[in-house]
Amino acid sequence: MAMPVSGVATDTPAAQLPAGHALARIGRAIRSNRKATIGTILLLIFILIALFPGVIAHDSPTQDAYAPGLGISTAHLLGTNHYGQDLFSQLVYGTRNVLIIAFVVGLATTGIAVLIGVAAAYLGGGWDGSLNVLTDVLLVIPLFPLLIIIAAYAHGGSTLVLIAAITLTGWSYTARQLRAQALTLRSRDFLAAARVRGERQLYIIMVEVIPTMTSLIVACFLTNALYAVLFASSLQFIGLGDPNTVSWGTTLYWAENNAALQTGEPLWAIAPGACIAVLGSAFALLNYAFDEIGNPALRPVRKPRSKRA
Amino acid sequence: MLEVSGLSVDYVLDRGNVRAVDDVSFTVGRGEFLGIVGESGCGKSTLLFAVAQLLSPPAVVAGGSVLFQGTNLVGLTDDQLSAVRWRDMSVVMQSAMNALNPVTSIGAQFKDAMRAHGKYSAEEITARSAEVLRMVGIDPVHLRSFSHQLSGGMRQRAMIAMALLFTPDLVIMDEPTSALDVVAQRSLMVQIKELQQAFGFAVIFVTHDMSLISHFSDRLMVMYAGQVDELGVTRQIFDKPLHPYTQGLLEAFPSIHGPRVPLKGIPGNPPSLASPPSGCRFHPRCPSAFDRCPAVAPDLYPVGETLVRCLLHENGSPSR
Amino acid sequence: MTEPGANASPPPKAELLRTEHLTRHFKIGGALSRRTLHAVDDVSFAISEREIVALAGESGSGKSTIARVLARIYKPTSGEAYFEGKPLSGIRSRRDALRYSGLVPMVFQDPFASINPVFRIQHGMLRCLKLHRPELPASQRLAEAARVFEVVGLNPDMLGRFPYELSGGQRQRVGFAQALAMRPKLILADEPVSMLDVSIRIGLLNLMAKLRDEEGVSILYITHDIASARYVADRLIVMYAGQIAETGPIDDVLTHPRHPYTQLLLSAVPDPRAPLSVAAETDRGEPPKVVDPAPGCRFRWRCPLAIDTCEQVTPQLAELRPGHDAACHVAQTSAEEVKAFL
Repeated sequence: MAMPVSGVATDTPAAQLPAGHALARIGRAIRSNRKATIGTILLLIFILIALFPGVIAHDSPTQDAYAPGLGISTAHLLGTNHYGQDLFSQLVYGTRNVLIIAFVVGLATTGIAVLIGVAAAYLGGGWDGSLNVLTDVLLVIPLFPLLIIIAAYAHGGSTLVLIAAITLTGWSYTARQLRAQALTLRSRDFLAAARVRGERQLYIIMVEVIPTMTSLIVACFLTNALYAVLFASSLQFIGLGDPNTVSWGTTLYWAENNAALQTGEPLWAIAPGACIAVLGSAFALLNYAFDEIGNPALRPVRKPRSKRA
Repeated sequence: MLEVSGLSVDYVLDRGNVRAVDDVSFTVGRGEFLGIVGESGCGKSTLLFAVAQLLSPPAVVAGGSVLFQGTNLVGLTDDQLSAVRWRDMSVVMQSAMNALNPVTSIGAQFKDAMRAHGKYSAEEITARSAEVLRMVGIDPVHLRSFSHQLSGGMRQRAMIAMALLFTPDLVIMDEPTSALDVVAQRSLMVQIKELQQAFGFAVIFVTHDMSLISHFSDRLMVMYAGQVDELGVTRQIFDKPLHPYTQGLLEAFPSIHGPRVPLKGIPGNPPSLASPPSGCRFHPRCPSAFDRCPAVAPDLYPVGETLVRCLLHENGSPSR
Repeated sequence: MTEPGANASPPPKAELLRTEHLTRHFKIGGALSRRTLHAVDDVSFAISEREIVALAGESGSGKSTIARVLARIYKPTSGEAYFEGKPLSGIRSRRDALRYSGLVPMVFQDPFASINPVFRIQHGMLRCLKLHRPELPASQRLAEAARVFEVVGLNPDMLGRFPYELSGGQRQRVGFAQALAMRPKLILADEPVSMLDVSIRIGLLNLMAKLRDEEGVSILYITHDIASARYVADRLIVMYAGQIAETGPIDDVLTHPRHPYTQLLLSAVPDPRAPLSVAAETDRGEPPKVVDPAPGCRFRWRCPLAIDTCEQVTPQLAELRPGHDAACHVAQTSAEEVKAFL
């Protein structure tokens, strides 16, 4: 008994364009949600700055070629610091370091979190127990002091050391979340259906489970990237990063070292802080937006004008 | 007692409004049992929420009125509504597992409900809670139980007991039996009917199971795609269904008595409310559709005591 | 349209599946608890080819557990199941397991949860074909999927759609299509229509009858709805609290029910064509959760006919009419039909 097909008409052959289709959907989703639009624009601006710093800032950040302590002017958009370096250039060139840390740490921690979280949920039993202990221990230990200890022992904390330290300590929170969601998915019928049709366990985890967790995984990535920025900048600020790299945290470090706020060069301290805050907000906005896109119940409701009966 | 006129409910979405309930009108008299029947997507649950003023965004009442004992509930504030809620009108939700608080005992929830609607002493609360539990056949010792300790049927009865705390004039029920097994379903329906006859409250009962409601409701309203397709006395509709959709629904129930006959069901799927078919919304699936059906949207035409939304009955006389 | 139902005098059919004293218990409570839930106890029945056997019961009766044991999701605690004469416990290699899962696939209850939402419909179909039809070259898989879709009444266009674009009824048909693509002998259908609208159910039930008649597939139809069981099934097994209460040709069981529980079920089924009878005394009890049970009939607390033996001895299935067994002391000792609830 043939069922007449109602609704979407389609002439497209069965196995068509998944990539273009998905991009179009993402584009539409971003445009429709205000938080997503703002967050994406901010992030794109930072990415552009990181990719083409020379186009935007015409001075070298490290060259102390100018008179120190200049205020804001057209030649120096944010003035110069104590060493005569152009502050605006410093921030622009520093963006690259910050974004590298954010994305590398974000991807690495999310990767570890997915591995451990989903494995714990699926292997169950003893594996789940021991992975949980590992996760919980890292959750409970205060991360920042731990990072300080690690970075201090690494003697001269280059960016790589920073990345490694933050990655190794920062995956536990999102691993927990992913494990929780994987557990709820375990009992879903479509996974039982995959088992019953004879799929192997590893296939089920990689192909059937993880793709259904994409929205949570993306949210975890954004969370992890945000915390990477904050932790890295904090470590650099207290001097545990490499003070010779150009980054927002190191700029803050030098500002603090030279008592910028007290000596009448406030922008030196405030500007990098503001950049960190804005980048952090971009990640946070995208995180909220993703929640709302994925779960329509969370979307802000615009109250329509009620009609009088 | 309850008069719904021209009620329409829209879901306000980015891509435009979707009308989930379209111009629905019906009345419920004192002590009457009205069954609302329809399949998924017909708007019956939305209608129920609209009548009980429980709609949450993005659903809004787009037009019409709900006159309950003379007052129009549409447009009242929450404070004004709370005077009516639970004292005169109460609601029993689908799936008590979701509606009952899993972390507090049943008795505590009854207490909350009573406290929300008046000042009562602790003894009064306990006495009344025990009384309503006994009314639905649950031992009052379960006031101390949690919802997961009760069976499905008992949970549903506890919900009904809670709805009866103030012996309201109208109890609205949204598919209270759909999560239950057939024996528990039947005993719950009988219980509801007994309570109704004892206390005289009216019932609006929403379900997708037409055969279940056939023995218990006084009048029946069949909904399809957000509209009322047939409204009349239950027995008359069952004996002589007028709308082709109602006929199709009735024929979709295999019987356990009598000879085995092949049945057809209704081909196709319920329409999307975002873009319903032109003219009569049922015409793509209707075995009796003719040339005017896609063009003209039928009104509700009276045929004897029944109202039918079908062009076949435009002139008030049954024509097949 | 083929009339759903068995023929008057069927030729003897080959036996496909047989269970013998199948039992499945679950440990409940914490790690230190010794309590066991007796989900399925001592269940023996057989399914032949080209027949639809309905396994009916309320929640907690064990019917879904049996399906999962037969699908090899659970191992039986004791007892054995034989498929084509070979015991299920003998299936050890991946190749044997794969072969069995292709011959005995399962269709699940919830159309909204049984298909992975992130992939197009063809994903599941192609995986089934890849795993279970190795003789089919990759280039022809899509065409075969389209052919199977036509058999179950779906437009092959749907292969390219996402699950959220399909209705519940269409998704259940996809479930049957996936099962059919594997060239099964027996389909385990776990309440396939319970979550569908009433007018859609008939279409699926007709499909099941068609699969039996035209594709030669047997179906174990698990349901709590006796009326739908009667519509498609040839034989009926009524379960209560993990045990079989009654079993036999479906028309015989429904017209001459011997077990009081079967009668209770029948009296509770709403039938719009039957006359109004609200006055019937109705049973308020619900099926028990069977934890560490004592011997005796598990229905005795709700049974108006219970006698002393019912309290002490667990009734066994005995043939009371040709091909029709019931496990009830009273029914077995009385020559007449017992009429408890009718």
